Amino acid sequence: MFLADSLRAIVGDTHVLERAAELLVYESDGLPGYHRTPSLAVFPASADEALAVVRELARQGVPFVPRGAGTGLSGGALADGAVLLGLQRLKRIIDIDPVRRVARVEPGVVNVSLTRAATRHGLHYAPDPSSQTACTLGGNLAENAGGPHCLKYGVTLNHVVAAKVALPGGSVVELDADDGGYDLIGAFVGSEGCFGVALELTVKLTPNPERIVTLLADFSSIDAAAQTVSAIIAAGILPAALEMMDQATVGAVEASIYAAGYPTDAAAVLLVEVDGAAVGLDEDVQGVDRICRAHGAREVRIATEPAARARLWQGRKKAFGAMGRIAPHLVVQDAVVPRTKLPSLLARIAAIGAANGVRVCNVFHAGDGNLHPNIPYNANDGNESARVHVAMRQIMQACIDAGGTITGEHGVGLDKLPYMDALFTPDTLDGMCRLRDVFDPDRRANPGKVVPIRYCRERRPKGLMGDGRRETGEVTTATPGAAALGAAEPDA
Amino acid sequence: MTLRPSTVTELAALVAESAARHRTFRLVGCGTWLDGGAPVATGAEPLHLDAFSGVLEYEPGDLTITVGATTTIAELDAVTVAHNQWCPLSPWGGDDGSVGATIATATPGPFAHALGLPRDLILGLECVDGTGKVLRPGGKVVKNVAGFDLVRLMTGSWGTLAAITSVSLRLRARPAVDETWHVPLDDGAAARAQDTLRRSITPPIACEVTTAGLLDTATQAGLLVRIAGNAAVVAAARAEVAAFGDARRVDPSSWTEWRARKARRVPRIPSSPEVRALNDGVRRAFDPAHILNPGIMG
Repeated sequence: MFLADSLRAIVGDTHVLERAAELLVYESDGLPGYHRTPSLAVFPASADEALAVVRELARQGVPFVPRGAGTGLSGGALADGAVLLGLQRLKRIIDIDPVRRVARVEPGVVNVSLTRAATRHGLHYAPDPSSQTACTLGGNLAENAGGPHCLKYGVTLNHVVAAKVALPGGSVVELDADDGGYDLIGAFVGSEGCFGVALELTVKLTPNPERIVTLLADFSSIDAAAQTVSAIIAAGILPAALEMMDQATVGAVEASIYAAGYPTDAAAVLLVEVDGAAVGLDEDVQGVDRICRAHGAREVRIATEPAARARLWQGRKKAFGAMGRIAPHLVVQDAVVPRTKLPSLLARIAAIGAANGVRVCNVFHAGDGNLHPNIPYNANDGNESARVHVAMRQIMQACIDAGGTITGEHGVGLDKLPYMDALFTPDTLDGMCRLRDVFDPDRRANPGKVVPIRYCRERRPKGLMGDGRRETGEVTTATPGAAALGAAEPDA
Repeated sequence: MTLRPSTVTELAALVAESAARHRTFRLVGCGTWLDGGAPVATGAEPLHLDAFSGVLEYEPGDLTITVGATTTIAELDAVTVAHNQWCPLSPWGGDDGSVGATIATATPGPFAHALGLPRDLILGLECVDGTGKVLRPGGKVVKNVAGFDLVRLMTGSWGTLAAITSVSLRLRARPAVDETWHVPLDDGAAARAQDTLRRSITPPIACEVTTAGLLDTATQAGLLVRIAGNAAVVAAARAEVAAFGDARRVDPSSWTEWRARKARRVPRIPSSPEVRALNDGVRRAFDPAHILNPGIMG
């Protein structure tokens, strides 16, 4: 039986897409600029169906790419000729245990849906990517997603306690943080769909804070705002979130339907949220207020009512969307630098932008040092695209040179692939490949992502190697470096 | 001859050469944890890692630190307290054990419930795997998803995949107010009080059901509680603790004493055959010759 027919037999006729027009939707994820066409797309309705699909793909030796809502920002969920395995129909919240404060969910549950379901128990799911109204928990698991409130509450890794996983070969494993052996659930979180498909997740739920206060401070220099970030943390205050937006971002937001009333003449604004017990919270609010003013804040607005707080947040959460007003395409970066390096890095990024004649909009998780220097551009303008890519590389290199990393929460996917060897040694990259090979020895799950293939040595059991090499023989896959880099460049 | 490599290169060369000859090693950090509850196979030679010690990088403003793996917990505490910071690793056992062993065994301590397990506090590491390759996964920044997570893999791997040589950790600013209280309670009442306090809106940063004789021979069994934060939060938390009984404020060194009394963590193998197979695959991928801490983890 042909693959499509056998998959239809599992999921039903209407849940296998093959026609080019139908597959068009799945050519991109949340990052504009990359287009890859899957050979077909299949959408199981249950964990059983998903497992049957994985087993059929294994039987036929077909590569596949798991996908949630497709909101990722790394090109990670693109299937280049592979089968796209869409999991958004698996959207059942199986169980919420308010006493143990955990929830069991299917991978297609939308992030914010879990928080909504947990609200009646006074609980919520803490990691809150900006796409939380659309992104799925399975996707969050695959990417080890973050979000503004991860500063205080931690990233996805810190909130996943177990997962039932279909390995690419078709077996099912229950990975549990409480089990013996190596931390395989820790290794699985953030594996970007390369280690298998989570069929069911058990995640922690966090008690809702008794009180939340959001502050907006505006500064006449980026440097002053960046210094304030370090000063707040150094004072021992751990805000729930500490976000920064520069003038370019504020301008884009205020000109859009997401206008939040940010001062457009400010060089930078800080959005600071403190939460917790009502008692003692005022001390933290006053502390943040005092530190902001001491560092030159022109004004500090304090919002305590939900509507007023939501308005302050709206501009931040929709900032990426608002940048769509500036230009049709957007490069989204996700580097992290040591917090004390923020002032010098932001100055360096501005200089790189100016030197290349591109417009950099900074909107980021300042408390974590997690930068998002975004560059709106027109991909149809070859000259501008070239300048954007030069600027992007220079920014990434500057962040690596400052002791940082190339991605804090978006994942490597396709987009960050060219920077992996600037960050890690060949032996470290090979170690990562060895870990992947344990989960997926055939390398069929999300092939070509995360680690450039030229760093992955081939280890094939005796008999599979046709040229008589020894069982322990290792060969480097012959992928020329330039070709691998080219594969990761956005179409321009 | 004592095996004591003085550089990572030397260690890597020794392991690489030994892998080919199936010469086996028992990794020794500070030597406080030698059997780990599961004796390493006989014949394994002690491989001393004490050259990899001391602070390598500490920028207090970043609230991160990188230390050599055999830096002791006591040293880590002393260096960070000087900047009014701390690392809540504080594992069960003593302060004379190493940071590397704490990570390798993923040993938590009384603050783990509120402030994170070793896997939550570690940012990156350097290690030499069983093939003699030097791996440097993770990084020194507080958020990092670049590449597959060898940091979590090595954390809790009991030295069976690699010898850890350095570790980068997340730090916290010391709270403005920090108090330790003891409440005498019988076992059942102490466990109930622990559960209530952990669910409080002002939860303690540590809350342990302790046995009799902890602080002095007269000390009854009860609850040892650490409350921390700004003055208003601590005042509220203090009132909650006091509601459970005859609370008295005790010296913070009580935590050191309690940590020393707790049974050490022992390695366990996965419960299901499927996960065991995956586990064995990981071992084969990083220590194919089975030369690092043989006998542990199957």
